[in-house]
Amino acid sequence: MGTDANRRAPEDIVCKDADSRRSTRPRGETFVWVTAMGLTVGLTMIVFLLGLVVVNGFGVFWPRSVALIEFREDRGTRFQGGTKALGVITIEQERDVRDLSLEQRASLHAADRREKQLFLGNRDAFGQAFAFFPAGDIRSVTYPDDVIRAERLEWGDALFFPVRLEMEDGSVIQADDPTFNSLLLKRVDDVAARRAQIHQIERYEIGRINLQMHQLEQEERFYSRQDELTAQQRSDRAAVARRMDQLRAQYQPLADQAARLRSKQHQDTFVYRLVTGDERSMSVGQIVHYYYPNRLTLVGRAQIFAGQLWRFLSGFPREANTEGGIFPAIFGTFVMTLMMSVAVMPFGVMAAIYLREYARQGLFVRAVRIAINNLAGVPSIVFGIFGLGFFVYFVGGGIDRMFFDRALPTPTFGTGGILWASLTLALMTVPVVIVATEEALAAVPRGVREGSLACGASKWQTIRYLVLPASAPGIMTGLVLAMARGAGEVAPLMLVGVVALAPNLPLDSVFPFIHLERKFMHLGFHIYDLGFQSPDSEAAKPMVFATTLVLILLVVVLNLVAILVRNHLRKKFTADKF
Amino acid sequence: MTKQQPLKTIPERFVVRPATLWFDRFMNYFITVGGLSIIIAVSLIFVFILLQVLPLFRGARVEPQGTFRVPGDDYVVMGTDEWSELPFFVNRRGELIFVDTVDPGGPDHRPPFTQTPAWLDEVEVSVVAYNAFRSQLLYGTSDGRFATVDVQYEATFPERGGREVSVQLRETPLMRISPAEVPVQRLAYGNSGNQAIVAAMQQVHDRYELHAVSLVQQRTLLGDGELSVDRSYDLSEHLDGKPEHLLVPSDADGVLIGMDDGRVSYLHFDGHEFHKRQMFVPFRDLDDRRIVSMDFLLGDVSLVFTASCGANRIFSLYRDPQRDARVWGHTKTFPDLERGASFYSAAMRNKAFLIGGGHIASLRYATTESVRWEEALPFWITHAALGPRYDRMLFLDDQYTLHCYRLNDPHPQAAWRTFFGRIQYEGQSAPEFAWQSTGGRDDFERKLSLVPLILGTLKGTFYAMIFALPIALLAAIYTSQFLRPEMKRFVKPVMEIMASLPSVVLGFLAALWLAPIISNAVPSVLLAMGAIIVAALVVGYLWGLLPQRIRVQLKPGYEFLAFVPVMLLVAYAGWQLGFVAERHWFVVEDPSTGLQIADFRLWFPYATGLGFEQRNAFVVGFVMGFAVIPIIFTITEDALSNVPEAFRSGSLALGASRWQTAIRIVLPTASAGIFSAIMIGLGRAVGETMIVVMATGNTPVTEFNPFTGMRTLSANIAVELPEAPYLGTLYRTLFLGALVLFLMTFLVNTVAEILRQRLREKYRAVE
Repeated sequence: MGTDANRRAPEDIVCKDADSRRSTRPRGETFVWVTAMGLTVGLTMIVFLLGLVVVNGFGVFWPRSVALIEFREDRGTRFQGGTKALGVITIEQERDVRDLSLEQRASLHAADRREKQLFLGNRDAFGQAFAFFPAGDIRSVTYPDDVIRAERLEWGDALFFPVRLEMEDGSVIQADDPTFNSLLLKRVDDVAARRAQIHQIERYEIGRINLQMHQLEQEERFYSRQDELTAQQRSDRAAVARRMDQLRAQYQPLADQAARLRSKQHQDTFVYRLVTGDERSMSVGQIVHYYYPNRLTLVGRAQIFAGQLWRFLSGFPREANTEGGIFPAIFGTFVMTLMMSVAVMPFGVMAAIYLREYARQGLFVRAVRIAINNLAGVPSIVFGIFGLGFFVYFVGGGIDRMFFDRALPTPTFGTGGILWASLTLALMTVPVVIVATEEALAAVPRGVREGSLACGASKWQTIRYLVLPASAPGIMTGLVLAMARGAGEVAPLMLVGVVALAPNLPLDSVFPFIHLERKFMHLGFHIYDLGFQSPDSEAAKPMVFATTLVLILLVVVLNLVAILVRNHLRKKFTADKF
Repeated sequence: MTKQQPLKTIPERFVVRPATLWFDRFMNYFITVGGLSIIIAVSLIFVFILLQVLPLFRGARVEPQGTFRVPGDDYVVMGTDEWSELPFFVNRRGELIFVDTVDPGGPDHRPPFTQTPAWLDEVEVSVVAYNAFRSQLLYGTSDGRFATVDVQYEATFPERGGREVSVQLRETPLMRISPAEVPVQRLAYGNSGNQAIVAAMQQVHDRYELHAVSLVQQRTLLGDGELSVDRSYDLSEHLDGKPEHLLVPSDADGVLIGMDDGRVSYLHFDGHEFHKRQMFVPFRDLDDRRIVSMDFLLGDVSLVFTASCGANRIFSLYRDPQRDARVWGHTKTFPDLERGASFYSAAMRNKAFLIGGGHIASLRYATTESVRWEEALPFWITHAALGPRYDRMLFLDDQYTLHCYRLNDPHPQAAWRTFFGRIQYEGQSAPEFAWQSTGGRDDFERKLSLVPLILGTLKGTFYAMIFALPIALLAAIYTSQFLRPEMKRFVKPVMEIMASLPSVVLGFLAALWLAPIISNAVPSVLLAMGAIIVAALVVGYLWGLLPQRIRVQLKPGYEFLAFVPVMLLVAYAGWQLGFVAERHWFVVEDPSTGLQIADFRLWFPYATGLGFEQRNAFVVGFVMGFAVIPIIFTITEDALSNVPEAFRSGSLALGASRWQTAIRIVLPTASAGIFSAIMIGLGRAVGETMIVVMATGNTPVTEFNPFTGMRTLSANIAVELPEAPYLGTLYRTLFLGALVLFLMTFLVNTVAEILRQRLREKYRAVE
């Protein structure tokens, strides 16, 4: 084909350029601009998308001023029957007026064509967290100094004016008292500390007991189903019952302690006033964190921002994942990716060494190479369905029948879990590692191998001490790319063990520490679940953007590492040439 | 090692330690075995998926299980319990004889025993009919009365294991069907829960009379009370011959009468009155039109007919668009039986039925028009029953021997036609491709065609490619041929990062952010896109007209940066212009108020008759571009950059412009590589899952409208597999979908890969 083109080219040029020889203008510059457009559009798309996620993702944590909006009395807009609304102005936009007829549209005033979206908070009081108001109906927008924005355990954030703090000893501190803020801050810190204590007791200490009790219950169920018990089994059964009693005895004081702490959370009552004038109260234990958004300096905002970001990254989810943090999802992604790497690395590298160093290069190896390259292009969902059919049902079901028959019919390994998810993704990414490793091995100059062999080293010694170290960065690149692909993949995980809310982490302090059979949370699935399974997807959107930002950062950083390592390598190997 | 001798000639420091050699040999072996087994294991994915699919195409397996003696009598009805363990036979007098088929000779085996309805001694039974779906007998007496008898089986699970089936009869009192005190000859009953009707045929002197009664059930707090006759209807006016068959569907919304001359009348009951809705002749084209058998299939909306010559057809109830009413129409034809059917039994969990006559028994599946199993049995069959769990078949022969057969047919609906052919499903007026794996009712007919899913996959791929392909190819040509090398170092990683964006992120942005924006501003989006293309052409042309001293201000290779402001400006203009265009051109009149409304979302369905959804193929195509563009870009760019530098230098030296060089020299040389890039991009688009799951409505469609969604093979797996029972038909069908997907991408990728390797060798020859 190439040679054909060469043969044809000169004639074309001669006849077409006959008349343009007078012109100094090169031909086809117009089309160069068209190709430039392709690149511009492509780059703009990616920059815009990343920018969108970064701005929206970080924007979630940035404390914004809270506006008090007063409506014009002569217009119809009211909020909860009153003329005032309090909230964060999130969007200002053109109204969608297309449901109006053309005549109606023409008669609209310019101000009426715009609208403001307000984040109202106080879902418990107003029933909705967001509302749109026509800009033309707004008389004034002010930023009152004493507004508090509080993050609560339930019902999301609240925006209100503080009224007073009623302590358990009966003393009452009014909001205009100079010590009010410091006192409230202290109380909120106290409840936060107690909350951490309760969390520690309930999740870890009681959780460990629950887990053991669950295992004992399974044993007991197994014994109760047997027709006849041997003497050994009878004594085992008695031991199970004894152990159960012990655990119950351990459980009770812990539960009491948690209940005591919990009751302390509700000692102090906080009274606040909504923009509608209603006074409401809540126990201080409800407040996770609060601040005066309109009193903040830039530094103050940055501090709040950092605090909110940290709570998001390190916290556990609340309220069906729409509030709180995403720590379990980050942790699940991390552990899964790590397990996947442990599984994929040795196998991928071994297969590549075989293909490049040991196998006789011929038709077979070529076919295998093509097949492996193709496997990298097979849709991930195919690996997912394979993982479910093979790992979960076939292998997992087999393990259950052999080792966990006491728990049946409740599956232990015969259902999705972090082990099967990691193995499925390892299978999916093994072609990536093989291809990258092969390329890295091929890049090691032949002379290195020959020199080593000539010095009397064995083949394995050559590979072990010369080829592998030289190609290690390349292999690492492949692994990092595989990790990036594995961390971002969701479709196969949905089939083999990811869940929206896992009660336990796959790694904890209870023997055997790594719980391979547990289901886990994953950043990608968290996005899917929040955005598509939660009842109010509008309210969940900030969380989705924030989670997306974390996932993208993770994947992009992994990729950047791979790209940098590779670029560095290229230079090194070009320098190797004589 | 050979011993003493070499030691004298070779100094000891040159001798290899045996351990080293041993270890080397071991690693040789270990890596070969390990490497090969990994490669084999990876390729086993295909084999495993294939193994999951293959059982779908296996036929029914039937094997004899045993025979039992039945007391000799003249039986008219045969029925069985859910587990086919305690079948019963009804003789002409109306007595039920139960035969235990479990553990013959064992301690718990019961000899045949008889049960009778309480009133049987007082009446003379003239007809008994059996509704297997309700496990209910219908008795007609010689003095014109009727009653229903429920055969209530109950299973208990005793401590020692196993199952014990006991039986109890629950009968209604006898009720009068018509004033004439003559024998009831045919009887049928239907009860939907809301209404119930009974129809009966009698012969008064030489005239045939048809009467129907509607029944009401007293509902009390304690449960369902007794049935009693509400109203009576005389339907004899609709008879103009001798009725042979009489059926009432379980919805109790009509009566079907099969005449002895081969006509079938369909009377529709609207809750108050009967109207004659249809008259049809199932075997109009045959010489002998007489109907030998006429029975319902599960769901009571399909009728299985046989003619005396053995022809076997199914008529189903569907909405006739011309009459706007549900009428019966011919939907399926089966291979002929040897003769008209003398026995019939419908399955109770799918659309299979057991039919035959004489020695022949045939198990057929209605949806696929297929014969699952057919055999000439070594006895003359008088009655047959298909086990309600579709796991057993019972035959009674003329010597009063009951033959039990085990039936193993886990996937009766699976056939080539089911997955890839058009099928006329129940209730539909024409054959079609459809996917609907679950429905609200037990008698729901599964629709498992993969064609809408394959078309959906192609639709998504198509819209992704028409968007991604131009951008990716143009960008690759520019990057490899015109871009400054120092910019290239920055551009390529950026595009590669685009490739790494998780598809769940793209799907989320597509569905929750982009879809509302695009669907609100379709004309603006289209205009902005068009404006950018036109702007590129215009700017390029005008730039060429500028005097050289201005043109040299912009170094070649920086055009893409210079285009950024132009693009933003033009895109904004196009966006705003779109709203103007919408206001002027995409106007519909609201039919209810007569107001003029300018809204593309309303205009599009109004103007084209197609649907408009917010989450549509256009959005998916746009966002899938993010996944496909970088792949095509990277591989194309590699292919173009790898064209030997000598080609380019030669062309430029001969006076060709950079564009001429790129398009006439470099592009043709790298064409195989570009083609392979497109193929690999295609493979990615075909398999993309999360974007489609999230950004479309996941409705299976067979049209290419850009403003509706679709369901792709991959999305279908993700959506349905978690709900599919292990090893069931749906589970295996989803594996079949995965196999199709696997093969599609594997083929495309193999072609691409072979092309690429060939290209690489060609370059090597040039260099």
